[in-house]
Amino acid sequence: MNASATEPRLGGTVAATLMFLMALAAPAANFTYHIAGDDPGAWPQILGSIGLTAAAGGPANLVVVRNVAPGSVPQWMQRIQEGEMVVLEGESELAQALGFEAGKKHIVVRSIVDEHAPKLSIVWQTGVDIPVFRVPKDARVFATERWEGAPLEAAVRRGSGVALWIAVQPGSQGYERFPYLLQALSDLGMNAPFRSERLWAFFDGSYRSRVDLDYFADRWRKAGIGALHVAGWHYYESDAANDEYLRRLIEACHRKAILVYVWLELPHVSEKFWADHPEWREKTAILQDAQLDWRKLMNLTNRQGFAAVSKGVESLITRFDWDGVNLAELYFESLEGAGNPARFTPMNADVRDEFRAMHGFDPLELFQSGKPDPVRLRTFLDYRAELARRQQEEWIAKIEAVRESRPNLDFVLTHVDDRFDTRMRDLIGADAARVLPLLDKHDFTFLIEDPATIWNLGPERYPKIAEKYQPLTKQTGKLAIDINIVERYQDVYPTKQQTGTELFELVHVAAKAFPRVTLYFENSILAPDLPLLASAAASVDKVQQDGRRLIVNSRYGVGVPWQGPAIVNGRLWPVHDQTTLWVPAGPNVIEPAPKDPAMRMLDFNGDLRSANVSAGGLEFSYQSNARAAAVLNMRPGKLEVDGSATNQTILESGPNYVVLLPRGQHVVAISSTP
Amino acid sequence: MLTLALPSGIGQNPDPVYGLLEHAYAALREKNYDPAIAGFRQAIALAPNRASIRKDLAYALLKVGENEEARDQFGEAMHLDASDQHVALEYAFLCYETKQQAVARRIFDRIRKTGDATAEQAFQNIDRPLAEGIARWKKALEISPDNFSAHQELAALAEQRDELPLAAEHYEKAWRLKPGERELLLDLGRVWKLEGHTEEATYVLLAASRGEPARVAEKARELLPSRYPYVYEFEKALELDPNNFELRREFAYLLLEMGKKEEAEQQFQKLNQMAPDDLLSAAQLGFLRLNGGDYTAAQPLLEQVLKGGDDELADRVRLVLKLPQTMRHRGTTAQRTFEEAKSMADKSLNAGYLKDALKYLTIAQENDPVDFNVMLKLGRLYNVMHQDREAIKWFKLAAKSPDPAVSKEADQSYHNLAPAFALFRTTFWAFPFFSTRWHDAFGYAQVKTEMKLGKLPIRPYVSLRFVGDVRGTTGSTLSNPAPQYLSETSFIFGVGVTTLPIHGAVGWFEAGAAVKYLTNRSDVGAMIPDYRGGIAYAKGFGHLMGGTKGFFFESNEDGVFVSRFQDDMLAYSQNRAGYTFAKTETGPLQQAQIYLNFNGTADRLGQYWANYVESGPGVRFKVRQLPKGMLFSVNFMRGAYTVNESNPRRPNFFDLRAGFWYAFTR
Repeated sequence: MNASATEPRLGGTVAATLMFLMALAAPAANFTYHIAGDDPGAWPQILGSIGLTAAAGGPANLVVVRNVAPGSVPQWMQRIQEGEMVVLEGESELAQALGFEAGKKHIVVRSIVDEHAPKLSIVWQTGVDIPVFRVPKDARVFATERWEGAPLEAAVRRGSGVALWIAVQPGSQGYERFPYLLQALSDLGMNAPFRSERLWAFFDGSYRSRVDLDYFADRWRKAGIGALHVAGWHYYESDAANDEYLRRLIEACHRKAILVYVWLELPHVSEKFWADHPEWREKTAILQDAQLDWRKLMNLTNRQGFAAVSKGVESLITRFDWDGVNLAELYFESLEGAGNPARFTPMNADVRDEFRAMHGFDPLELFQSGKPDPVRLRTFLDYRAELARRQQEEWIAKIEAVRESRPNLDFVLTHVDDRFDTRMRDLIGADAARVLPLLDKHDFTFLIEDPATIWNLGPERYPKIAEKYQPLTKQTGKLAIDINIVERYQDVYPTKQQTGTELFELVHVAAKAFPRVTLYFENSILAPDLPLLASAAASVDKVQQDGRRLIVNSRYGVGVPWQGPAIVNGRLWPVHDQTTLWVPAGPNVIEPAPKDPAMRMLDFNGDLRSANVSAGGLEFSYQSNARAAAVLNMRPGKLEVDGSATNQTILESGPNYVVLLPRGQHVVAISSTP
Repeated sequence: MLTLALPSGIGQNPDPVYGLLEHAYAALREKNYDPAIAGFRQAIALAPNRASIRKDLAYALLKVGENEEARDQFGEAMHLDASDQHVALEYAFLCYETKQQAVARRIFDRIRKTGDATAEQAFQNIDRPLAEGIARWKKALEISPDNFSAHQELAALAEQRDELPLAAEHYEKAWRLKPGERELLLDLGRVWKLEGHTEEATYVLLAASRGEPARVAEKARELLPSRYPYVYEFEKALELDPNNFELRREFAYLLLEMGKKEEAEQQFQKLNQMAPDDLLSAAQLGFLRLNGGDYTAAQPLLEQVLKGGDDELADRVRLVLKLPQTMRHRGTTAQRTFEEAKSMADKSLNAGYLKDALKYLTIAQENDPVDFNVMLKLGRLYNVMHQDREAIKWFKLAAKSPDPAVSKEADQSYHNLAPAFALFRTTFWAFPFFSTRWHDAFGYAQVKTEMKLGKLPIRPYVSLRFVGDVRGTTGSTLSNPAPQYLSETSFIFGVGVTTLPIHGAVGWFEAGAAVKYLTNRSDVGAMIPDYRGGIAYAKGFGHLMGGTKGFFFESNEDGVFVSRFQDDMLAYSQNRAGYTFAKTETGPLQQAQIYLNFNGTADRLGQYWANYVESGPGVRFKVRQLPKGMLFSVNFMRGAYTVNESNPRRPNFFDLRAGFWYAFTR
């Protein structure tokens, strides 16, 4: 036998077999958990917020031991030794056996320091009297009491398993005491089950003026962000340095399959526009220029002012390679309503004249007496809400006109919720019921902004908000929700702004209630939250592991943790990278495959409908309200959209290539050869 | 931007951080920011005073968007090298970007005075809007002086512009308008501190640090001195914030600790007025008044606490008032443990693992101290384990159950066991029955009072027995003209001593006198000495009467010395084996047993009447209408004398016996 002739062939076979076996034996993500004890507490919310589901009798390698049955400690210790990840609360025989022993000294814990965000103020609404625990010397302490440093959250490894211990149960919502429990579990080896890259995020470049944009684009994509809505007012006027920054930002995003929308915050136009046009400044009810917080409001009722602004907006939209336009919060100030004249708008001369002509009195009079006449005030508030609707319709028409020359532009209207918090119509003139019918006439996404007044409420508000909007429009697929990740003015706990489990619960529940979730804003999302954000955003209705097969049913398509080649619904599947397999909405049966196709789509920004391996490359169909971005592992030689050869924009992205595809519903065929 | 911070003479004086920096810069060139940052951090740990490394770290941090940390590194670099104006500007710009506008303004202000145009522009960019804003809100306040948000906005702008008195004035005004906005206290304290009004700042921060909201309290704690506040600071803080309940309470306890009871009482009185429903204050005030001898004033307060929902506090009051403590339910975790333990206990009981059952029942009881079922089970278990001292404790507690079934059983069990632990224990038993063989009704009874002698295993007693029958004699026969008496027909008075049961056996001996009640009886005197004693053993196995259905076995073995019968020694063995039926829910018949009897008697002197065996079926009933300790039995016996010498009767006999057994102990 000629050894030299056979060895390479044998070696190749062995390698292929090994790869196949590796795919079969690839470390599975934690899809399920089990809670030992009758009362699960808040653990289903905590673990469910990143897509983990309760084990239905099958194996679970993450177990929360809430109640240590008498005599069961040896079994638990053995399971940990054999690789189980166990979570336990407070004092128990098991905790003691692991070395977490309550001492005689007690402290009242009111705030903690967590290693994931050591500078973040984490305060418990109600102090809890807890014994000071001794923890094993080899424990990794995640959180301590702030003033005395007593350990409150720690983990120990025993054998091939690990136990995470917390000194007291996590609270009824799951985040009141230990916001970073999931991060701790992740640090200890827990893998979140699914990923979504459909999140939108608002972005203000002034916070990121000196960052490495490529580094950030990669980070955003890994965090599940599909589109940035970039504050457009910084680029309203052309400026070489600013424009260059924006172009680099858009390119960096496109290279990572992230779409970029221009976010308009009219009637704020720009700093310069405000300075240059004092004659068009909005007025408050005490006739001061309406500079409220960071927004400097302009009078868009004035026809000259409107003409100037609309020209500037058109220029802004056409100067850059945007994927969409977001017309946000076009109504009036403030959340204090008529109760605070110093913040109440509009009170510019044009509005006053128009109103006087219609109703016979100057609305300013309402604020010059001690208490406004309720009937007259009602008349003005109704007029004001109607004026806001008129302005919104006017600007929608304006942007629709721009879209005629830019057919790939998507359009989003961001509007504060006034159905859940019904005060918004009178406070700021926002009236969704009047705007929503426009969805039947115009092609846009209605992005519902969570009003600041309810930022303190829990995630369950999102299904309720969704319910309120269902009857108002048939276009429910065009509804989206905006979650404000900011420091809330309310007295909220444990953190001023949403982070950790609270954020994941918000995002997860919102993603189940709405087709699209937007985060305000990119800069406010804390670094420890980024790695698990994409999992929180994933909405999976069913997951079932059946031997080698994994059955996943999702509403909008999802990324499944996967290593190696795969067959999906019986066909070799070309859409995956090293760690994630992307499947379309609906039920999908995933199995390991022996070999990958040469051309693969590593990432896709759009709603993938189907995908196939073709002789020369791959074929797929999709739907997208904006352009779609496909990341390929090799340069496409030939590209057909709906059966016609086309020259789409192709960008190099490291070793990969990004193709920007037209908006709408299309079938694409890509081959590696021309 | 990056400056390679290497000393010139590497060869002569190797830089300890050279290697680290080399790797950090290499990573930076490759845009591998994380290892670069880690390298710079390590280098700073080794060379903390080198400003250039901090600058390079700061620039690397900016690339990854860590602006706050970059700011702090520039700040450190600025302090290390005050002459580096560029670093100062970087620091100031980053302060501005990271919401530290006041610091940025100060630094720009300092640098612009050196003629730096950039700093001048930056300063104006910050200062002008602040000045305009202040002017605007001042004007708004002229129109509407009580506009809360105008005061708040004005104060915030003034603070950022370092107009501290103006800021303090309007923070205070805003707080006075909305005292519930306690974050304003924090703002006020911070500004006063910046102004150098340290004492005033301490008062206001002390007020903010106590009570709700927790976040404000924690932030205030950060700004307070680390020492515990002085009494006068509490007083000043309370002047400022008189309705701060938590502050006043803490002050009251401080006074108490300092032994200033009168002043403390005044504070508790105020607290009680502020919040009459606050039980803690009411209790403390009550205690103080009680200690002062003012029972009348203390009583309503302490009664309020006793009736309130705070069990722990109520127990403290009970302790002071020497009232019994209460038992409390525990939390949900305890509840879960309880359920599991109870289930394990039942399993252990069913399997006969009594020690395990005891362990689990104890756990269950500890986790739910008011489960009366568990108490009853503990009582039963201890009883089965012959630890009646423990059993009685649990039966007594379980008898307080709101469940009548539990309470009844526990009470009964308690009363069954309690006499054994009383100083005096009186036992009464009676066994009247009719015998077809003798056509006579017999009666045996005893009332006996024992006295407990501490832990000694013996107990003295006094006893009165009755042994008699209705018929009296069988009458004269030809062979025996003297009438034969069928019983002793006497009351027997005696004093004696008995041992405590050891494995079911007791020893006893008594001395006394038998007094005949038949005046015409001539074979014995009216009152004759009577000495008797012996060993008695009684034990039941299986499902006994009163228990659940199933098979049972009972054995009574007695060895008795009786002086009256020529100092005879008699041995009795009475045994029953059979089946106990389930208790009925309704109807007069409560429970029944069927069984077979196996009895035997022998004596030392070999007298015929004392030597026989008998056997036969029997039934025994417990009837609802009869007293608790009473049983009705019918036994049909077939017997044979084992000694027939001098036996005037046949060697074999049949006998149907029907009678009542009644016993109780008090």
